[in-house]
Amino acid sequence: MSTALAITILAGISTLAMLSFLVRENSIYRAFEHIFIGLSAGLGLVVTVRDFLYPKILMPMFGWDIVVFPDGTIKDPGHPLAWMYAIPLAFGLLYYTMYFPRYSWMARLVIGFSFGAGGGLAIKGFFNEILPQVTASFKPLVVFDEGTIAWMSSFNNTVFVFTLLCTMAYFFFTFRRGEALRGIAGSGGRWLMMVCFGAFFGSTVMARMAILVERLQFLLIDWTDALLKVVGYV
Amino acid sequence: MIRSLLRFIDARRLIFILVLVTLSLPLLLRWSVPPVRMTAAELLFNEIEKIPTDVPGKIVYLALDYGPGTKAESGSQAKALIEHLMRRRIKFLVTAQVLDAAPIINSIPDEVAAGLMELYPNEKWEYGIDWVNMGYTAGAGLNIQNVAKAASIPNFFKRDARGNSTAEIPLFNGVTSIESVSALIQITAYVGTLESYLQFFANEKYRPIFLHGCTSIATPQSFIYLDSGQIKGLLEGIAGAAWYGKLLSDKYPDRPVDDSVVINTTLGVAHLLVILLIVAGNFVGIFGTRASKRRTDV
Repeated sequence: MSTALAITILAGISTLAMLSFLVRENSIYRAFEHIFIGLSAGLGLVVTVRDFLYPKILMPMFGWDIVVFPDGTIKDPGHPLAWMYAIPLAFGLLYYTMYFPRYSWMARLVIGFSFGAGGGLAIKGFFNEILPQVTASFKPLVVFDEGTIAWMSSFNNTVFVFTLLCTMAYFFFTFRRGEALRGIAGSGGRWLMMVCFGAFFGSTVMARMAILVERLQFLLIDWTDALLKVVGYV
Repeated sequence: MIRSLLRFIDARRLIFILVLVTLSLPLLLRWSVPPVRMTAAELLFNEIEKIPTDVPGKIVYLALDYGPGTKAESGSQAKALIEHLMRRRIKFLVTAQVLDAAPIINSIPDEVAAGLMELYPNEKWEYGIDWVNMGYTAGAGLNIQNVAKAASIPNFFKRDARGNSTAEIPLFNGVTSIESVSALIQITAYVGTLESYLQFFANEKYRPIFLHGCTSIATPQSFIYLDSGQIKGLLEGIAGAAWYGKLLSDKYPDRPVDDSVVINTTLGVAHLLVILLIVAGNFVGIFGTRASKRRTDV
């Protein structure tokens, strides 16, 4: 049996084991669930070391990527400051001091640094992501296209601006809202949000069904085909 | 025996069996109906069509940030987009910021290239010339910001996922900074990954065109970015992938029917079933309650 065939058959058995939960909670499902969690953690570690830590950090740092030809010439001599990767690497390793109560304060340095860097990035990211949306929300209520009113675009923009204002009014808690805000705008905002949640829920059903369809397709076509190959029908 | 079996098949399990049978039939029969027109997918298609192929040193930055769990939606989108890029001979770099994508980004371009070479035996698509895999990169937003700020993208990555030095990869000839990236295509099933690109994949002078593929669950969220113009095209779940496949088939008539159309059809059947079950559930709920109330009154 080829490796690809064995993987396909194993994948089918795993899928069936996970789907067995639909019948009832059972030990096979539990076992495969734990295998899956273990595999995910293992894959994370292997991929991080293989695809990132080793080729992009350790190789240039220790000069393992330097090729020396028999005549002594060097191809790709690397960056002279590549050893400086050791500094963040050592700093990151301080995280593990949390396992030693006497030195656990060092881990807080790493956590504090991560928080600081994360906070700084988040502020920059917020402006880059949200400001274009704020400017894009200033839409004309009446859209003209070559001198005539584009009714559909105008309607879309009106719905957009109305929804935006109503939703903002609903979340207006700074001081007691007046009748106008509490009435049409506030409850309108709630209703419009409900419509939005409905759309989200519909999309969720669609996404979950798509996952099921893909698994069924795998079981009915690829897996069955592999099984038939194993038993010698194909 | 039959009585115990009937006792075992309660309403919940009956629904599971119904879903299983209903979804299996279109898959087994490979039933496909033409997909519904998706204007956001058309925008994406047109943007890819606009990318010039005769400008040396230009690449597309393809970020595939999804795992095997969303293979049906994100996988179909990735295949369709990669096929389009390969058919148009647009060079692309593929990378991921999520771990589970690492095996996927290695295999998908290979599969698409193999399919195309089978279809056109006289043409060739080669790794390192037509595409290159930079693998998984840790650091999310921080890493993306560093790519955007790098004076040389090949120097920043140093090596591809197969261990080759970027200096030796022909695809990178003439490629320098982010200004060499004509478009960013990001396909994701994870919350926050598109946002990382929107926030950090630009420098003071240049921002490439952003194109995006999302799962159905994230469509309402992604539409916000399409509406604001932050992304120029969007593939919405499997429906988007199916329409994109249809656009590709219109342009390249010799293209075989791809799985996305079959999955999309099956999904349509699933939706009909869900609607039917909701109606039936409400019917039973309303009339069942009334009947039991009437019995209690008597």
